Amino acid sequence: MTLLNGLLPPYIESIAITVGIYIIMALGLNLITGVTGQLSLGHAAYMSIGAYASAIVSLQLGMPFIFALLAGGIAAGIFGLIIGYPTLRLTGDYLAIATLGFGEIVKSLLFNMPIVGGAMGLAGIPYKSTLTVTFILVVIVIWMMLRVERSRFGRALLAIREDDIAAECYGINTSLYKVKMFVLGTFIAGIGGALWAHKIMVLQPRDFGFMKSIEILNMVVLGGLGSIPGTVLGAIVLTSIPEVLRFSSDYRMLLYGALLVIMMRFRPNGLLGGVDVTKLVKKSIKSITGSNFTNKEKKKVKGGD
Amino acid sequence: MALLELNKLTIQFGGLIAVNKVDLKVEKGQISALIGPNGAGKSTAFNLATGIYSPTSGKVLYKGQDISGKAPYYINGLGIARTFQNIRLFKELTVLDNVKIGCHSRSKAGIFGAITRLSAIKKEEREIEEKAYQALKLMGLEKKYDEFADNLSYGEQRCLEIARAMASEPELLLLDEPAAGMNLQEKGVLVEKINKIREMGLTIFLVEHDMKFVMGLSDRVAVLDYGVKIADGTPEEVQVNADVIAAYLGKEVV
Ligand SMILES: Nc1ncnc2c1ncn2[C@@H]1O[C@H](COP(=O)(O)OP(=O)(O)OP(=O)(O)O)[C@@H](O)[C@H]1O
Ligand SMILES: [Mg+2]
Repeated sequence: MTLLNGLLPPYIESIAITVGIYIIMALGLNLITGVTGQLSLGHAAYMSIGAYASAIVSLQLGMPFIFALLAGGIAAGIFGLIIGYPTLRLTGDYLAIATLGFGEIVKSLLFNMPIVGGAMGLAGIPYKSTLTVTFILVVIVIWMMLRVERSRFGRALLAIREDDIAAECYGINTSLYKVKMFVLGTFIAGIGGALWAHKIMVLQPRDFGFMKSIEILNMVVLGGLGSIPGTVLGAIVLTSIPEVLRFSSDYRMLLYGALLVIMMRFRPNGLLGGVDVTKLVKKSIKSITGSNFTNKEKKKVKGGD
Repeated sequence: MALLELNKLTIQFGGLIAVNKVDLKVEKGQISALIGPNGAGKSTAFNLATGIYSPTSGKVLYKGQDISGKAPYYINGLGIARTFQNIRLFKELTVLDNVKIGCHSRSKAGIFGAITRLSAIKKEEREIEEKAYQALKLMGLEKKYDEFADNLSYGEQRCLEIARAMASEPELLLLDEPAAGMNLQEKGVLVEKINKIREMGLTIFLVEHDMKFVMGLSDRVAVLDYGVKIADGTPEEVQVNADVIAAYLGKEVV
Protein backbone atom coordinates (compact mmCIF):
# COMPACT_ATOMS: atom_id res chain seq x y z
CA MET A 1 0.00 0.00 0.00
CA THR A 2 2.89 2.39 -0.20
CA LEU A 3 3.53 2.13 -3.89
CA LEU A 4 3.33 5.82 -4.73
CA ASN A 5 4.28 7.34 -1.41
CA GLY A 6 7.56 9.22 -1.37
CA LEU A 7 7.90 9.02 -5.13
CA LEU A 8 7.38 12.76 -5.44
CA PRO A 9 8.94 15.61 -3.48
CA PRO A 10 6.85 16.13 -0.32
CA TYR A 11 5.40 19.46 -1.46
CA ILE A 12 4.28 18.06 -4.81
CA GLU A 13 2.97 14.93 -3.11
CA SER A 14 0.86 17.07 -0.82
CA ILE A 15 -0.59 18.97 -3.79
CA ALA A 16 -1.25 15.71 -5.61
CA ILE A 17 -3.23 14.39 -2.62
CA THR A 18 -5.23 17.61 -2.46
CA VAL A 19 -5.94 17.36 -6.19
CA GLY A 20 -7.10 13.78 -5.72
CA ILE A 21 -9.46 14.74 -2.90
CA TYR A 22 -10.96 17.51 -5.01
CA ILE A 23 -11.39 15.17 -7.96
CA ILE A 24 -13.50 12.98 -5.65
CA MET A 25 -15.43 15.97 -4.32
CA ALA A 26 -16.07 17.34 -7.79
CA LEU A 27 -17.17 13.97 -9.17
CA GLY A 28 -19.77 13.70 -6.41
CA LEU A 29 -21.09 17.15 -7.26
CA ASN A 30 -20.95 16.39 -10.97
CA LEU A 31 -23.38 13.55 -10.40
CA ILE A 32 -25.78 15.93 -8.64
CA THR A 33 -25.44 19.08 -10.71
CA GLY A 34 -23.82 17.97 -13.95
CA VAL A 35 -25.55 14.68 -14.68
CA THR A 36 -28.91 15.21 -12.98
CA GLY A 37 -29.09 18.99 -13.24
CA GLN A 38 -29.89 19.62 -9.55
CA LEU A 39 -28.03 22.63 -8.21
CA SER A 40 -26.39 22.03 -4.84
CA LEU A 41 -24.70 24.94 -3.09
CA GLY A 42 -23.67 23.03 0.01
CA HIS A 43 -21.23 20.38 -1.16
CA ALA A 44 -18.59 21.57 1.29
CA ALA A 45 -21.03 20.97 4.15
CA TYR A 46 -21.22 17.29 3.23
CA MET A 47 -17.44 17.27 3.00
CA SER A 48 -17.26 18.66 6.54
CA ILE A 49 -19.71 16.08 7.86
CA GLY A 50 -17.58 13.33 6.34
CA ALA A 51 -14.42 14.91 7.69
CA TYR A 52 -15.69 15.31 11.27
CA ALA A 53 -17.45 11.94 11.38
CA SER A 54 -14.36 10.12 10.17
CA ALA A 55 -12.12 12.08 12.52
CA ILE A 56 -14.29 11.09 15.47
CA VAL A 57 -14.16 7.45 14.42
CA SER A 58 -10.36 7.64 14.23
CA LEU A 59 -9.88 9.65 17.43
CA GLN A 60 -12.55 8.30 19.77
CA LEU A 61 -12.86 4.74 18.54
CA GLY A 62 -9.37 4.25 17.17
CA MET A 63 -10.74 2.15 14.36
CA PRO A 64 -8.83 1.39 11.13
CA PHE A 65 -8.94 4.02 8.39
CA ILE A 66 -11.31 2.10 6.16
CA PHE A 67 -14.01 2.38 8.84
CA ALA A 68 -13.32 6.08 9.23
CA LEU A 69 -13.72 6.51 5.47
CA LEU A 70 -16.99 4.59 5.41
CA ALA A 71 -18.28 6.44 8.47
CA GLY A 72 -17.54 9.73 6.72
CA GLY A 73 -19.38 8.64 3.60
CA ILE A 74 -22.35 7.22 5.47
CA ALA A 75 -22.73 10.22 7.78
CA ALA A 76 -22.71 12.59 4.80
CA GLY A 77 -25.11 10.31 2.91
CA ILE A 78 -27.57 10.32 5.80
CA PHE A 79 -27.58 14.11 5.80
CA GLY A 80 -27.95 13.95 2.04
CA LEU A 81 -31.12 11.96 2.59
CA ILE A 82 -32.38 14.35 5.25
CA ILE A 83 -31.98 17.38 2.96
CA GLY A 84 -32.71 15.65 -0.34
CA TYR A 85 -35.86 13.78 0.58
CA PRO A 86 -38.09 16.78 1.29
CA THR A 87 -36.61 19.16 -1.29
CA LEU A 88 -35.99 17.00 -4.35
CA ARG A 89 -39.64 16.05 -4.60
CA LEU A 90 -40.52 19.66 -5.30
CA THR A 91 -40.01 21.25 -8.67
CA GLY A 92 -37.93 24.40 -8.68
CA ASP A 93 -34.64 25.33 -7.13
CA TYR A 94 -35.47 24.27 -3.60
CA LEU A 95 -32.40 22.08 -3.37
CA ALA A 96 -30.14 25.06 -4.05
CA ILE A 97 -31.81 27.09 -1.30
CA ALA A 98 -31.92 24.20 1.17
CA THR A 99 -28.28 23.20 0.64
CA LEU A 100 -27.22 26.84 0.95
CA GLY A 101 -28.96 27.13 4.30
CA PHE A 102 -27.80 23.70 5.39
CA GLY A 103 -24.17 24.66 4.74
CA GLU A 104 -24.44 27.64 7.04
CA ILE A 105 -26.23 25.65 9.72
CA VAL A 106 -23.61 22.91 9.70
CA LYS A 107 -20.84 25.46 9.97
CA SER A 108 -22.38 27.22 12.97
CA LEU A 109 -23.20 23.92 14.66
CA LEU A 110 -19.59 22.79 14.31
CA PHE A 111 -18.44 26.13 15.71
CA ASN A 112 -20.55 25.56 18.78
CA MET A 113 -20.02 21.88 19.45
CA PRO A 114 -17.41 21.24 22.13
CA ILE A 115 -17.10 17.57 21.14
CA VAL A 116 -15.52 18.60 17.82
CA GLY A 117 -13.45 21.39 19.27
CA GLY A 118 -15.68 24.30 18.25
CA ALA A 119 -13.90 27.20 16.61
CA MET A 120 -10.57 25.88 17.92
CA GLY A 121 -10.94 22.91 15.68
CA LEU A 122 -10.38 19.23 16.01
CA ALA A 123 -6.71 18.32 16.15
CA GLY A 124 -4.60 15.23 16.38
CA ILE A 125 -6.23 13.29 13.54
CA PRO A 126 -3.80 10.64 12.33
CA TYR A 127 -2.23 11.05 8.91
CA LYS A 128 -3.72 8.30 6.75
CA SER A 129 -4.49 9.86 3.40
CA THR A 130 -1.28 8.98 1.68
CA LEU A 131 -0.86 9.43 -2.03
CA THR A 132 -1.42 5.73 -2.59
CA VAL A 133 -4.66 5.61 -0.63
CA THR A 134 -5.93 8.77 -2.30
CA PHE A 135 -4.97 7.52 -5.72
CA ILE A 136 -6.76 4.22 -5.18
CA LEU A 137 -9.92 6.01 -4.05
CA VAL A 138 -9.78 8.40 -6.99
CA VAL A 139 -9.57 5.44 -9.35
CA ILE A 140 -12.47 3.68 -7.60
CA VAL A 141 -14.67 6.78 -7.70
CA ILE A 142 -13.91 7.49 -11.37
CA TRP A 143 -14.57 3.86 -12.21
CA MET A 144 -17.86 3.94 -10.30
CA MET A 145 -18.96 7.13 -11.98
CA LEU A 146 -18.14 5.78 -15.43
CA ARG A 147 -20.21 2.70 -14.71
CA VAL A 148 -23.10 4.71 -13.32
CA GLU A 149 -23.02 7.02 -16.34
CA ARG A 150 -23.49 4.12 -18.73
CA SER A 151 -26.25 2.30 -16.97
CA ARG A 152 -30.00 2.29 -16.73
CA PHE A 153 -29.69 4.33 -13.54
CA GLY A 154 -27.38 6.89 -15.16
CA ARG A 155 -29.57 7.25 -18.22
CA ALA A 156 -32.54 7.91 -15.96
CA LEU A 157 -30.57 10.72 -14.27
CA LEU A 158 -29.68 12.24 -17.63
CA ALA A 159 -33.32 12.00 -18.67
CA ILE A 160 -34.31 13.91 -15.52
CA ARG A 161 -31.81 16.64 -16.37
CA GLU A 162 -33.01 16.88 -19.96
CA ASP A 163 -36.75 16.85 -19.31
CA ASP A 164 -38.17 15.67 -16.02
CA ILE A 165 -41.77 15.47 -17.24
CA ALA A 166 -40.83 13.28 -20.20
CA ALA A 167 -38.64 11.21 -17.86
CA GLU A 168 -41.57 10.68 -15.51
CA CYS A 169 -43.81 9.68 -18.46
CA TYR A 170 -41.28 7.02 -19.44
CA GLY A 171 -41.42 5.17 -16.19
CA ILE A 172 -38.83 7.02 -14.13
CA ASN A 173 -39.89 7.80 -10.57
CA THR A 174 -38.05 11.10 -10.73
CA SER A 175 -38.27 12.02 -7.03
CA LEU A 176 -36.93 8.64 -5.96
CA TYR A 177 -34.09 8.71 -8.48
CA LYS A 178 -33.11 12.23 -7.50
CA VAL A 179 -33.00 11.26 -3.82
CA LYS A 180 -30.94 8.12 -4.50
CA MET A 181 -28.57 10.08 -6.68
CA PHE A 182 -28.20 12.82 -4.06
CA VAL A 183 -27.41 10.30 -1.35
CA LEU A 184 -24.74 8.76 -3.58
CA GLY A 185 -23.29 12.18 -4.43
CA THR A 186 -23.15 13.26 -0.79
CA PHE A 187 -21.75 9.87 0.24
CA ILE A 188 -18.86 10.50 -2.14
CA ALA A 189 -18.45 14.00 -0.68
CA GLY A 190 -18.23 12.37 2.75
CA ILE A 191 -15.45 10.08 1.54
CA GLY A 192 -13.64 13.13 0.18
CA GLY A 193 -14.08 14.84 3.52
CA ALA A 194 -12.72 11.81 5.39
CA LEU A 195 -9.65 11.82 3.18
CA TRP A 196 -9.24 15.54 3.78
CA ALA A 197 -9.44 15.12 7.56
CA HIS A 198 -6.73 12.47 7.52
CA LYS A 199 -4.48 14.56 5.34
CA ILE A 200 -4.79 17.97 6.96
CA MET A 201 -4.99 16.47 10.50
CA VAL A 202 -6.71 19.55 11.96
CA LEU A 203 -10.31 20.42 11.17
CA GLN A 204 -11.79 23.87 11.50
CA PRO A 205 -15.40 24.73 10.65
CA ARG A 206 -14.42 27.77 8.63
CA ASP A 207 -12.58 25.62 6.10
CA PHE A 208 -15.92 24.34 4.87
CA GLY A 209 -17.84 27.49 4.12
CA PHE A 210 -19.97 28.60 1.22
CA MET A 211 -16.92 29.62 -0.83
CA LYS A 212 -15.61 26.07 -0.64
CA SER A 213 -18.89 24.83 -2.10
CA ILE A 214 -18.61 27.38 -4.89
CA GLU A 215 -15.00 26.34 -5.52
CA ILE A 216 -16.09 22.74 -6.06
CA LEU A 217 -18.99 23.85 -8.21
CA ASN A 218 -16.52 25.85 -10.30
CA MET A 219 -14.51 22.71 -10.99
CA VAL A 220 -17.57 20.98 -12.37
CA VAL A 221 -18.62 23.99 -14.43
CA LEU A 222 -15.12 24.59 -15.76
CA GLY A 223 -14.66 21.02 -16.93
CA GLY A 224 -18.14 20.68 -18.36
CA LEU A 225 -21.31 19.83 -16.48
CA GLY A 226 -21.95 16.12 -16.75
CA SER A 227 -18.56 15.24 -18.21
CA ILE A 228 -16.43 12.93 -16.05
CA PRO A 229 -13.11 13.68 -17.81
CA GLY A 230 -14.09 17.36 -17.76
CA THR A 231 -14.76 17.30 -14.04
CA VAL A 232 -11.42 15.60 -13.37
CA LEU A 233 -9.68 18.20 -15.51
CA GLY A 234 -11.57 21.02 -13.78
CA ALA A 235 -10.53 19.73 -10.36
CA ILE A 236 -6.90 19.38 -11.42
CA VAL A 237 -6.74 22.84 -12.95
CA LEU A 238 -8.52 24.70 -10.18
CA THR A 239 -6.69 22.92 -7.37
CA SER A 240 -3.18 22.96 -8.73
CA ILE A 241 -2.99 26.32 -10.48
CA PRO A 242 -3.54 28.46 -7.36
CA GLU A 243 -1.06 26.26 -5.49
CA VAL A 244 1.56 26.50 -8.18
CA LEU A 245 1.08 30.21 -8.76
CA ARG A 246 0.78 30.77 -5.00
CA PHE A 247 -2.17 33.12 -5.21
CA SER A 248 -3.39 34.59 -2.00
CA SER A 249 -6.96 33.54 -1.30
CA ASP A 250 -8.31 37.00 -2.19
CA TYR A 251 -6.88 36.78 -5.66
CA ARG A 252 -8.12 33.25 -5.95
CA MET A 253 -11.71 34.45 -5.75
CA LEU A 254 -10.94 37.11 -8.32
CA LEU A 255 -9.54 34.44 -10.61
CA TYR A 256 -12.64 32.26 -10.18
CA GLY A 257 -14.94 35.14 -10.98
CA ALA A 258 -13.01 36.09 -14.09
CA LEU A 259 -12.76 32.47 -15.13
CA LEU A 260 -16.52 31.95 -14.88
CA VAL A 261 -17.22 35.05 -16.96
CA ILE A 262 -14.74 33.93 -19.61
CA MET A 263 -16.22 30.42 -19.63
CA MET A 264 -19.77 31.74 -20.03
CA ARG A 265 -18.62 33.76 -23.00
CA PHE A 266 -16.48 31.21 -24.83
CA ARG A 267 -17.30 27.72 -23.61
CA PRO A 268 -20.62 27.71 -21.74
CA ASN A 269 -20.63 23.92 -21.76
CA GLY A 270 -17.24 23.74 -20.05
CA LEU A 271 -13.83 22.71 -21.34
CA LEU A 272 -14.91 19.18 -22.19
CA GLY A 273 -18.69 19.62 -22.13
CA GLY A 274 -20.34 17.97 -25.11
CA VAL A 275 -17.09 16.25 -26.06
CA ASP A 276 -17.27 12.48 -26.02
CA VAL A 277 -13.73 11.64 -25.04
CA THR A 278 -13.87 7.96 -26.05
CA LYS A 279 -15.27 8.98 -29.42
CA LEU A 280 -12.60 11.60 -29.78
CA VAL A 281 -9.87 9.05 -29.13
CA LYS A 282 -11.38 6.59 -31.59
CA LYS A 283 -11.65 9.34 -34.13
CA SER A 284 -8.04 10.38 -33.73
CA ILE A 285 -6.99 6.79 -34.24
CA LYS A 286 -9.15 6.61 -37.33
CA SER A 287 -7.78 9.82 -38.73
CA ILE A 288 -4.26 8.51 -38.27
CA THR A 289 -5.19 5.32 -40.09
CA GLY A 290 -6.82 7.43 -42.79
CA SER A 291 -10.57 6.84 -42.45
CA ASN A 292 -12.93 9.72 -42.98
CA PHE A 293 -15.03 11.20 -40.21
CA THR A 294 -16.94 13.95 -41.92
CA ASN A 295 -20.40 13.22 -40.52
CA LYS A 296 -19.23 13.21 -36.96
CA GLU A 297 -17.52 16.54 -37.27
CA LYS A 298 -20.62 18.60 -36.60
CA LYS A 299 -21.13 17.03 -33.19
CA LYS A 300 -17.91 18.29 -31.86
CA VAL A 301 -18.92 21.81 -32.75
CA LYS A 302 -21.92 21.51 -30.44
CA GLY A 303 -19.89 21.84 -27.29
CA GLY A 304 -18.55 25.20 -28.35
CA ASP A 305 -21.62 27.24 -29.14
CA MET B 1 -64.60 -3.60 -21.53
CA ALA B 2 -62.88 -0.66 -23.17
CA LEU B 3 -59.12 -0.54 -22.75
CA LEU B 4 -59.23 3.11 -21.72
CA GLU B 5 -62.29 4.84 -20.42
CA LEU B 6 -62.78 8.46 -19.45
CA ASN B 7 -65.64 8.76 -17.02
CA LYS B 8 -67.19 12.23 -16.53
CA LEU B 9 -63.63 13.46 -16.62
CA THR B 10 -63.26 17.09 -15.57
CA ILE B 11 -60.40 19.42 -14.84
CA GLN B 12 -60.59 23.05 -13.93
CA PHE B 13 -57.74 25.58 -14.13
CA GLY B 14 -58.90 28.59 -12.13
CA GLY B 15 -62.04 29.76 -13.88
CA LEU B 16 -61.46 27.62 -16.97
CA ILE B 17 -62.94 24.16 -17.27
CA ALA B 18 -60.48 22.72 -19.78
CA VAL B 19 -62.07 19.27 -19.85
CA ASN B 20 -65.72 19.13 -18.91
CA LYS B 21 -67.49 15.87 -17.94
CA VAL B 22 -66.03 13.97 -20.85
CA ASP B 23 -67.13 10.35 -21.33
CA LEU B 24 -65.07 8.45 -23.83
CA LYS B 25 -64.07 4.89 -24.63
CA VAL B 26 -61.02 3.63 -26.44
CA GLU B 27 -61.59 0.06 -27.59
CA LYS B 28 -58.76 -2.43 -27.66
CA GLY B 29 -57.08 -2.91 -31.02
CA GLN B 30 -58.65 0.15 -32.60
CA ILE B 31 -57.31 3.49 -33.68
CA SER B 32 -59.33 6.17 -31.94
CA ALA B 33 -58.94 9.88 -32.54
CA LEU B 34 -59.70 12.96 -30.51
CA ILE B 35 -60.17 16.11 -32.54
CA GLY B 36 -61.35 19.64 -31.94
CA PRO B 37 -60.37 23.26 -32.44
CA ASN B 38 -57.31 24.79 -30.76
CA GLY B 39 -57.68 24.99 -27.02
CA ALA B 40 -60.49 22.44 -26.96
CA GLY B 41 -58.80 20.42 -24.23
CA LYS B 42 -57.34 17.52 -26.24
CA SER B 43 -53.82 17.67 -24.85
CA THR B 44 -55.24 18.25 -21.39
CA ALA B 45 -57.25 15.04 -21.75
CA PHE B 46 -54.01 13.21 -22.62
CA ASN B 47 -52.29 14.80 -19.64
CA LEU B 48 -55.08 13.52 -17.43
CA ALA B 49 -54.86 10.02 -18.88
CA THR B 50 -51.09 9.86 -18.34
CA GLY B 51 -51.06 11.26 -14.81
CA ILE B 52 -49.50 14.65 -15.51
CA TYR B 53 -52.68 16.24 -14.15
CA SER B 54 -55.12 14.89 -11.56
CA PRO B 55 -58.75 15.39 -12.48
CA THR B 56 -60.91 17.82 -10.53
CA SER B 57 -63.64 15.19 -10.77
CA GLY B 58 -64.39 12.09 -12.77
CA LYS B 59 -62.17 9.11 -13.50
CA VAL B 60 -59.72 7.59 -15.90
CA LEU B 61 -60.07 3.82 -16.11
CA TYR B 62 -57.44 1.61 -17.70
CA LYS B 63 -58.52 -2.03 -18.05
CA GLY B 64 -61.18 -1.18 -15.52
CA GLN B 65 -58.67 0.07 -12.96
CA ASP B 66 -58.98 3.64 -11.73
CA ILE B 67 -55.73 5.37 -12.60
CA SER B 68 -56.80 8.98 -12.12
CA GLY B 69 -54.23 10.92 -10.19
CA LYS B 70 -51.66 8.12 -10.29
CA ALA B 71 -48.06 9.11 -11.03
CA PRO B 72 -47.02 9.18 -14.71
CA TYR B 73 -44.20 6.67 -14.15
CA TYR B 74 -46.68 4.23 -12.63
CA ILE B 75 -49.11 4.65 -15.52
CA ASN B 76 -46.33 4.04 -18.02
CA GLY B 77 -45.51 0.87 -16.14
CA LEU B 78 -49.11 -0.29 -16.59
CA GLY B 79 -48.72 -0.08 -20.35
CA ILE B 80 -49.63 3.42 -21.50
CA ALA B 81 -47.05 5.41 -23.43
CA ARG B 82 -47.39 8.78 -25.09
CA THR B 83 -45.78 11.33 -27.33
CA PHE B 84 -45.88 15.08 -26.83
CA GLN B 85 -47.35 17.78 -29.04
CA ASN B 86 -44.46 20.09 -28.17
CA ILE B 87 -41.73 17.49 -28.76
CA ARG B 88 -40.07 16.59 -25.46
CA LEU B 89 -37.04 14.57 -26.44
CA PHE B 90 -33.90 14.30 -24.34
CA LYS B 91 -32.22 16.73 -26.69
CA GLU B 92 -28.60 16.46 -25.69
CA LEU B 93 -28.64 12.68 -25.61
CA THR B 94 -28.22 10.41 -28.60
CA VAL B 95 -31.12 8.91 -30.50
CA LEU B 96 -30.24 5.48 -29.10
CA ASP B 97 -30.12 6.73 -25.50
CA ASN B 98 -33.50 8.41 -25.94
CA VAL B 99 -35.02 5.09 -26.91
CA LYS B 100 -33.10 3.17 -24.23
CA ILE B 101 -34.65 5.47 -21.64
CA GLY B 102 -38.00 4.42 -23.11
CA CYS B 103 -37.18 0.87 -21.96
CA HIS B 104 -37.02 2.00 -18.33
CA SER B 105 -40.34 0.53 -17.22
CA ARG B 106 -39.47 -2.87 -18.61
CA SER B 107 -36.07 -3.21 -16.93
CA LYS B 108 -34.81 -3.27 -13.37
CA ALA B 109 -31.11 -2.54 -12.79
CA GLY B 110 -30.42 0.01 -10.03
CA ILE B 111 -27.34 1.72 -8.60
CA PHE B 112 -25.72 -1.47 -7.40
CA GLY B 113 -26.42 -3.13 -10.71
CA ALA B 114 -24.78 -0.20 -12.44
CA ILE B 115 -21.64 -0.52 -10.35
CA THR B 116 -21.33 -4.29 -10.11
CA ARG B 117 -22.44 -5.12 -13.65
CA LEU B 118 -23.20 -8.71 -12.79
CA SER B 119 -23.96 -10.98 -15.70
CA ALA B 120 -27.72 -10.59 -15.22
CA ILE B 121 -27.31 -6.83 -15.50
CA LYS B 122 -25.17 -7.13 -18.59
CA LYS B 123 -27.79 -9.39 -20.10
CA GLU B 124 -30.53 -6.89 -19.32
CA GLU B 125 -28.44 -4.12 -20.86
CA ARG B 126 -28.05 -6.17 -24.05
CA GLU B 127 -31.81 -6.72 -24.13
CA ILE B 128 -32.40 -2.99 -23.71
CA GLU B 129 -30.02 -2.33 -26.57
CA GLU B 130 -31.77 -4.86 -28.77
CA LYS B 131 -35.25 -3.53 -27.94
CA ALA B 132 -34.12 0.03 -28.54
CA TYR B 133 -32.68 -0.98 -31.88
CA GLN B 134 -35.93 -2.70 -32.89
CA ALA B 135 -37.94 0.37 -31.92
CA LEU B 136 -35.65 2.58 -33.99
CA LYS B 137 -35.89 0.21 -36.92
CA LEU B 138 -39.67 0.26 -36.71
CA MET B 139 -39.61 4.03 -37.13
CA GLY B 140 -36.83 3.98 -39.73
CA LEU B 141 -34.30 5.73 -37.51
CA GLU B 142 -31.77 2.97 -36.92
CA LYS B 143 -29.10 4.64 -39.04
CA LYS B 144 -29.30 7.79 -36.93
CA TYR B 145 -28.73 6.03 -33.60
CA ASP B 146 -25.54 7.93 -32.93
CA GLU B 147 -26.90 11.43 -33.66
CA PHE B 148 -27.96 13.82 -30.93
CA ALA B 149 -31.75 13.97 -30.83
CA ASP B 150 -31.54 17.72 -31.24
CA ASN B 151 -29.83 17.33 -34.62
CA LEU B 152 -32.69 15.38 -36.20
CA SER B 153 -35.16 17.00 -38.55
CA TYR B 154 -38.56 17.91 -37.19
CA GLY B 155 -40.25 14.91 -38.79
CA GLU B 156 -37.54 12.59 -37.51
CA GLN B 157 -37.95 13.98 -34.02
CA ARG B 158 -41.65 13.14 -34.12
CA CYS B 159 -40.76 9.60 -35.23
CA LEU B 160 -38.19 9.33 -32.44
CA GLU B 161 -40.90 10.25 -29.95
CA ILE B 162 -42.92 7.29 -31.20
CA ALA B 163 -39.88 5.00 -31.14
CA ARG B 164 -39.19 5.98 -27.52
CA ALA B 165 -42.81 5.29 -26.63
CA MET B 166 -42.70 1.91 -28.39
CA ALA B 167 -39.59 0.94 -26.43
CA SER B 168 -41.67 0.91 -23.26
CA GLU B 169 -43.72 -1.91 -24.84
CA PRO B 170 -47.09 -0.28 -24.28
CA GLU B 171 -50.50 -1.73 -24.98
CA LEU B 172 -51.96 1.73 -25.45
CA LEU B 173 -50.15 4.41 -27.40
CA LEU B 174 -51.25 8.04 -27.10
CA LEU B 175 -50.04 10.27 -29.93
CA ASP B 176 -50.49 14.03 -29.53
CA GLU B 177 -50.38 15.56 -33.04
CA PRO B 178 -47.90 13.06 -34.48
CA ALA B 179 -48.07 14.57 -37.97
CA ALA B 180 -47.73 18.22 -36.99
CA GLY B 181 -45.04 19.92 -39.03
CA MET B 182 -44.55 16.96 -41.35
CA ASN B 183 -44.62 17.25 -45.12
CA LEU B 184 -46.96 15.18 -47.28
CA GLN B 185 -44.47 12.41 -47.91
CA GLU B 186 -43.53 12.12 -44.23
CA LYS B 187 -47.21 11.95 -43.33
CA GLY B 188 -47.68 9.09 -45.80
CA VAL B 189 -44.86 7.15 -44.17
CA LEU B 190 -46.26 7.91 -40.72
CA VAL B 191 -49.67 6.50 -41.65
CA GLU B 192 -47.99 3.27 -42.73
CA LYS B 193 -46.05 3.08 -39.46
CA ILE B 194 -49.12 3.70 -37.32
CA ASN B 195 -51.02 1.01 -39.19
CA LYS B 196 -48.11 -1.32 -38.65
CA ILE B 197 -48.12 -0.59 -34.94
CA ARG B 198 -51.82 -1.39 -34.83
CA GLU B 199 -51.15 -4.67 -36.61
CA MET B 200 -48.66 -5.45 -33.85
CA GLY B 201 -51.67 -5.51 -31.55
CA LEU B 202 -51.44 -2.07 -29.97
CA THR B 203 -54.33 0.24 -29.34
CA ILE B 204 -53.83 3.79 -30.56
CA PHE B 205 -55.44 6.99 -29.34
CA LEU B 206 -54.40 10.09 -31.24
CA VAL B 207 -54.96 13.82 -31.43
CA GLU B 208 -54.45 15.41 -34.83
CA HIS B 209 -55.56 18.51 -36.72
CA ASP B 210 -55.00 17.09 -40.23
CA MET B 211 -58.51 15.84 -41.09
CA LYS B 212 -57.45 13.74 -44.05
CA PHE B 213 -54.92 11.99 -41.80
CA VAL B 214 -57.46 11.42 -39.01
CA MET B 215 -60.36 10.29 -41.18
CA GLY B 216 -58.20 7.93 -43.21
CA LEU B 217 -56.64 6.26 -40.20
CA SER B 218 -59.20 6.12 -37.42
CA ASP B 219 -61.91 3.64 -36.53
CA ARG B 220 -63.55 6.05 -34.10
CA VAL B 221 -63.43 9.81 -33.76
CA ALA B 222 -64.49 11.91 -30.78
CA VAL B 223 -64.80 15.68 -30.99
CA LEU B 224 -64.09 18.14 -28.18
CA ASP B 225 -65.08 21.78 -28.16
CA TYR B 226 -64.42 24.08 -25.19
CA GLY B 227 -63.72 21.00 -23.08
CA VAL B 228 -67.05 19.35 -23.89
CA LYS B 229 -67.44 16.28 -26.05
CA ILE B 230 -69.81 17.27 -28.84
CA ALA B 231 -69.67 14.17 -31.03
CA ASP B 232 -68.41 10.62 -31.09
CA GLY B 233 -68.65 8.01 -33.84
CA THR B 234 -67.13 6.67 -37.02
CA PRO B 235 -65.27 9.16 -39.23
CA GLU B 236 -68.24 9.23 -41.63
CA GLU B 237 -70.71 10.03 -38.86
CA VAL B 238 -68.58 12.74 -37.34
CA GLN B 239 -67.88 14.46 -40.65
CA VAL B 240 -71.55 15.17 -41.27
CA ASN B 241 -72.40 16.05 -37.68
CA ALA B 242 -73.94 19.51 -37.56
CA ASP B 243 -72.41 20.45 -34.18
CA VAL B 244 -68.97 19.50 -35.41
CA ILE B 245 -69.28 21.51 -38.58
CA ALA B 246 -70.47 24.49 -36.54
CA ALA B 247 -67.58 24.17 -34.08
CA TYR B 248 -65.01 24.09 -36.86
CA LEU B 249 -66.64 26.78 -38.97
CA GLY B 250 -66.92 29.02 -35.97
CA LYS B 251 -63.26 28.75 -35.15
CA GLU B 252 -60.93 27.77 -37.89
CA VAL B 253 -62.38 28.84 -41.23
CA VAL B 254 -62.58 32.59 -41.07
N1 LIG C 1 -51.71 23.91 -16.79
C1 LIG C 1 -52.66 24.74 -17.28
N2 LIG C 1 -53.03 25.83 -16.57
C2 LIG C 1 -53.99 26.66 -17.03
N3 LIG C 1 -54.64 26.48 -18.19
C3 LIG C 1 -54.32 25.42 -18.95
C4 LIG C 1 -53.31 24.48 -18.53
N4 LIG C 1 -53.19 23.52 -19.47
C5 LIG C 1 -54.08 23.83 -20.43
N5 LIG C 1 -54.76 24.96 -20.12
C6 LIG C 1 -55.82 25.58 -20.91
O1 LIG C 1 -56.77 24.59 -21.20
C7 LIG C 1 -57.29 24.77 -22.50
C8 LIG C 1 -57.12 23.50 -23.29
O2 LIG C 1 -55.75 23.35 -23.65
P1 LIG C 1 -55.21 22.11 -24.46
O3 LIG C 1 -53.74 22.28 -24.57
O4 LIG C 1 -55.71 20.88 -23.87
O5 LIG C 1 -55.88 22.35 -25.89
P2 LIG C 1 -55.73 21.46 -27.18
O6 LIG C 1 -57.08 20.97 -27.51
O7 LIG C 1 -54.67 20.48 -27.04
O8 LIG C 1 -55.32 22.59 -28.23
P3 LIG C 1 -54.26 22.52 -29.44
O9 LIG C 1 -54.98 21.94 -30.57
O10 LIG C 1 -53.93 23.96 -29.65
O11 LIG C 1 -53.12 21.72 -28.99
C9 LIG C 1 -56.58 25.96 -23.10
O12 LIG C 1 -57.40 27.08 -22.95
C10 LIG C 1 -55.34 26.08 -22.27
O13 LIG C 1 -54.91 27.40 -22.20
MG1 LIG D 1 -52.85 20.14 -27.83
